[in-house]
Amino acid sequence: MPMRATFRNAPAPGGPSRLMPLAVVGSALLAVASGVLFYYASRTAIRSPAGPVYRVTVREKSCDPNSLVAPAGRVAFEIYNASNRTLEWEILDGVMVVEERENIAPGFRSALTARLRPGRYEITCGLLSNPRGSLVVEASAESEAERQKPPLKAFIGPLAEYRVYLVQQSSTLIKEAARLAAAIRAGDTDEARLRYVAPLLPYRRMDIVAGRFSDLKNRIDPVADYLEKREDDPAFSGFHRIERALFAKRSLDGLQPVADALAADVAALGARIRALRLSPGDICSSVERQARLFAESQIVKGESPYARNELVEFEASLQGMGKALDLLSPVLQGLAAPALALVQERRSVAASGLESLKRAGGYPAYDEVGSPTRDKLAGDFRAFAEAVAKLGVLLGPE
Amino acid sequence: MKSMRFLTALAAALISAGLARAETVTLDLVGPISDYKIYVSEKLDKLVEDTKAFTGAVKAGDVARAKALFAPTRQSYEAIEPIAELFSDLDSAIDSRADDHEKAEADPSFTGFHRIEFGLWTKNSTDGLNSFADKLLNDVTELRKRIVDLPLPPEKVVGGAAALMEEVAATKISGEEDRYSHTDLWDFRGNFDGAYKIVELVRPLIAQKEEDFLKGVDDNFNRINATLSKYKEGEGYVSYEKLSEADRKVLAAAVNKLAEDLSTLRAKLGLD
Amino acid sequence: MRSRSRHSEAGGSVGNNHGRRVFLKALGFAAACPFARAAAANADSERPEPRGRVTDAPVADAVTASDRTPFYGVRQAGVTTARPANGMIASFDVVAESIDGLERLFRRLTERAAFLTSGGLAPVADPRLPPPDSGLLGPIIRPDALTVTLSLGASLFDDRPWLTAHKPRRLSRMARFPNDALNRRICHGDLALQICANTRDAALHALRDIIKHCSDQLVLKWKQEGDVPVLAPGSGAPAESARNFLGFRDGSANPDASDLDLMDRLVWVGPARDEPRWATGGSYQVVRIIRNFVERWDRTPLREQERIMGRAKMSGAPLDKPDAGEFAVPDYASDPLGKLTTLDAHIRLANPRSGGDKESLILRRPFNYSNGVTNAGQLDQGLLFICYQADLEKGFIAIQNRLNGEPLEEYIKPVGGGYFFALPGARDVSDYLGSALIAAVREGSSRTSH
Repeated sequence: MPMRATFRNAPAPGGPSRLMPLAVVGSALLAVASGVLFYYASRTAIRSPAGPVYRVTVREKSCDPNSLVAPAGRVAFEIYNASNRTLEWEILDGVMVVEERENIAPGFRSALTARLRPGRYEITCGLLSNPRGSLVVEASAESEAERQKPPLKAFIGPLAEYRVYLVQQSSTLIKEAARLAAAIRAGDTDEARLRYVAPLLPYRRMDIVAGRFSDLKNRIDPVADYLEKREDDPAFSGFHRIERALFAKRSLDGLQPVADALAADVAALGARIRALRLSPGDICSSVERQARLFAESQIVKGESPYARNELVEFEASLQGMGKALDLLSPVLQGLAAPALALVQERRSVAASGLESLKRAGGYPAYDEVGSPTRDKLAGDFRAFAEAVAKLGVLLGPE
Repeated sequence: MKSMRFLTALAAALISAGLARAETVTLDLVGPISDYKIYVSEKLDKLVEDTKAFTGAVKAGDVARAKALFAPTRQSYEAIEPIAELFSDLDSAIDSRADDHEKAEADPSFTGFHRIEFGLWTKNSTDGLNSFADKLLNDVTELRKRIVDLPLPPEKVVGGAAALMEEVAATKISGEEDRYSHTDLWDFRGNFDGAYKIVELVRPLIAQKEEDFLKGVDDNFNRINATLSKYKEGEGYVSYEKLSEADRKVLAAAVNKLAEDLSTLRAKLGLD
Repeated sequence: MRSRSRHSEAGGSVGNNHGRRVFLKALGFAAACPFARAAAANADSERPEPRGRVTDAPVADAVTASDRTPFYGVRQAGVTTARPANGMIASFDVVAESIDGLERLFRRLTERAAFLTSGGLAPVADPRLPPPDSGLLGPIIRPDALTVTLSLGASLFDDRPWLTAHKPRRLSRMARFPNDALNRRICHGDLALQICANTRDAALHALRDIIKHCSDQLVLKWKQEGDVPVLAPGSGAPAESARNFLGFRDGSANPDASDLDLMDRLVWVGPARDEPRWATGGSYQVVRIIRNFVERWDRTPLREQERIMGRAKMSGAPLDKPDAGEFAVPDYASDPLGKLTTLDAHIRLANPRSGGDKESLILRRPFNYSNGVTNAGQLDQGLLFICYQADLEKGFIAIQNRLNGEPLEEYIKPVGGGYFFALPGARDVSDYLGSALIAAVREGSSRTSH
């Protein structure tokens, strides 16, 4: 049974006066509300030795329950796909993806553990066109303890450095997306095919962060399978739409607005990146999330069915993950040297696993990579993700 | 159920207002620190490019062109001096003066900008300067490489604003920096621009709480700009020797006051 | 860990100097050595008696103009002697082209120093002649705890082929460290005099006297005077190190000068050292004129100042023992990552306290100087750093090499000074400073010490 959370009357820094009377009134209400909400939540939580697991059943057009309450910290979910389409399930903070599971097959369950800060979140419910549910995360003793931790001053330098990296990748992405759009506008299919990978790679290097802006991700990098009408869905845009046109259909028909939209979207992404505030815990969990996505769906399934250049994309993604970890390492050394060593070791295994697939002329097309190899690679990324998860525990929900 | 939703919404609103948005001042610094790193990278790129042109002119024996490029090339270095000084070996090789060395101008360890300046202005020649030109280009290229790979310590970035003023107050206001060419006013511009950049980047973080402080800082920068602009010539400035005694005192006092004020900047941002 | 004096039954533990002093004061002496009475009475004592911790702040009413520091002894005074409030280094070029000339110079210097340090009537002459004494101290020259310590620079030996073979093994011309901006006008010298006294006037009087008497053989190169803050009388507080111009106590980790065995190991050249025999009883002297950028220091956050130094400012306590006193020893082994005392803190770099041979210790005996105003309109103030050690390379040079690149370098700039060798003492009235060196040259003896 989760501990009953107590609410602190802590005013928001920088603007206490306005919130104080509200908070005083509110805390009384909260005391009542929390009891009620907990009762409600406890009915949906499955008790397990490791703590409560929140089970959500996803149906054709809805989720049950559609409203959840959980305490801050590590929260375990179990998603049961009761529909007949493969789906993904996401926890969103505004437009930011906090956690997600992809590729949940019909009839299958998927377990998911998220590190959640107090706040109000939305949950996607199956198909992206379905209405969303809500998840309220309350302050817990654990999250309050985290808040008391010493300031993150030591991380400022590395976090700043990582932001510089992202901004630089973003600049390259914007520049190359513009050139791709120009080639498409000029009607030059061959040129466009040559220019296709150049913006894709910086995007992949920013994967762990870019993939969390769900609105932009759904425009820049949607996967046909999660759309109602798949490739024919009007929401099928971005890289994969261009990829299909250039490498499967070999035609530039109707592609110009798609390319222009991509150029506009990556510019918007650049602005979001500049405004983004990441904590070390955020970065850690993002790396873990991305590695897990690779392990559990993307490596086995493949994501780029037309150009089949997954390997070079995975490599870029791993580069980006590595960069983030390398920048945080010196600060984490003191806190978590063994956990860090394990992370770097597993990452190195994954990297050389990829590297070993390289041939004289570069990476082969992904359809030449057979199931056993894919499974091994997925295993490498899974082990990497697990190591990162352990590291993340040490950083806490912040 | 409606009341349930209401309570949920109320609870959520209160929670998010009171707790979820609690931001630490320190993470607010990540944006300015990384923007400063980008600024420094841009300055270093320009420094390397300009140094190529400057040393090229020296090696080509083009005294007039080398003299014309000396001061503008140095401005990029002067703007980011506190960061460059993190590598004291390179700072010494690039920017030391004759009196840092026991044998002064004749000392073999006297290299860099001022060694070349000495040859160009006192001897009006590029003779014997080729090796110093090559070394300078190598050193600034190495400096850029080292800084690109270095996460900038936040205290050094923010403290750099005060450090720039200390530089001017201790060694530059007397015109001893560019003692052969008297191009010190160009250097001042670089130093002040570099300090101001830092203030601009952290301004949003303290604008509300430190209105008076920032006003004082802005007033001093304005005073400096107004005084320096009297000596503008083309893209740069006239000789330091033309700086009037009265204006020198105005600059010295403004620089000292800025050093005092900017020395409190780190504390205002929660940095040690 | 600093070794304890074997004569410490009066005091005991490290922080208990107060106890020891009170006990000894009861004996009638402010000296730290329990054998002080015997030593003071016997001017021919083997070892000049050290009075108090060398870098303790002088106390205003504890000193008088009649204070006399014995001049004669196996070792010169002014090294392990407690430092008075004023001091200076004066560096000279020597005009002496033969061994006779050098002997003459040494004898005259000895004569002047012996007189000035014991005091007496100022000599008078016919008023139609220039007065032999400057008159600065009036008709009666009081000793005022004056010490005159004579030391020789490498150039004296290097420029005289008949002297070169007798140079102390480790004596070299001071070379630039990375943060130095050496001004040749205030560096090096053939011969240096360290002149210290309770008052500045006594020291200046001595300098002027010596210059006047030796003007044919000594040409003044540079000098730097300095002083240390004097404590108010009767505060009853335990002895503390005097403060420097950074506001910090200076000398907290100084080896205990009353520990005579320690001094024999750390400071004095002994017969077992690989040095010329004449050098026994001498010591290597390092002088560094170190400018402090005081305006900038005063604009530095207090916590940062303390972090840079490795000590609390007011108490002098090491940062890992903030409630202890100035003389507490930091425990770096318990702080390997430098969380309490950063790894590049001044005191930690200077003395990592890792024990064994790695410990290179020096005896510091500095003064603060305040000259004029720089061209930039800033104060020209700083530290006249003076230290003594038996081995120049293992002492100061090793320490400074560890300090290279320290954060304190933003605030300091060594601009002058030099390396010298302080001569053994003049044993008695029949002896003179440098006699063993002169004898060695005359005998043409070899450089080895066996």
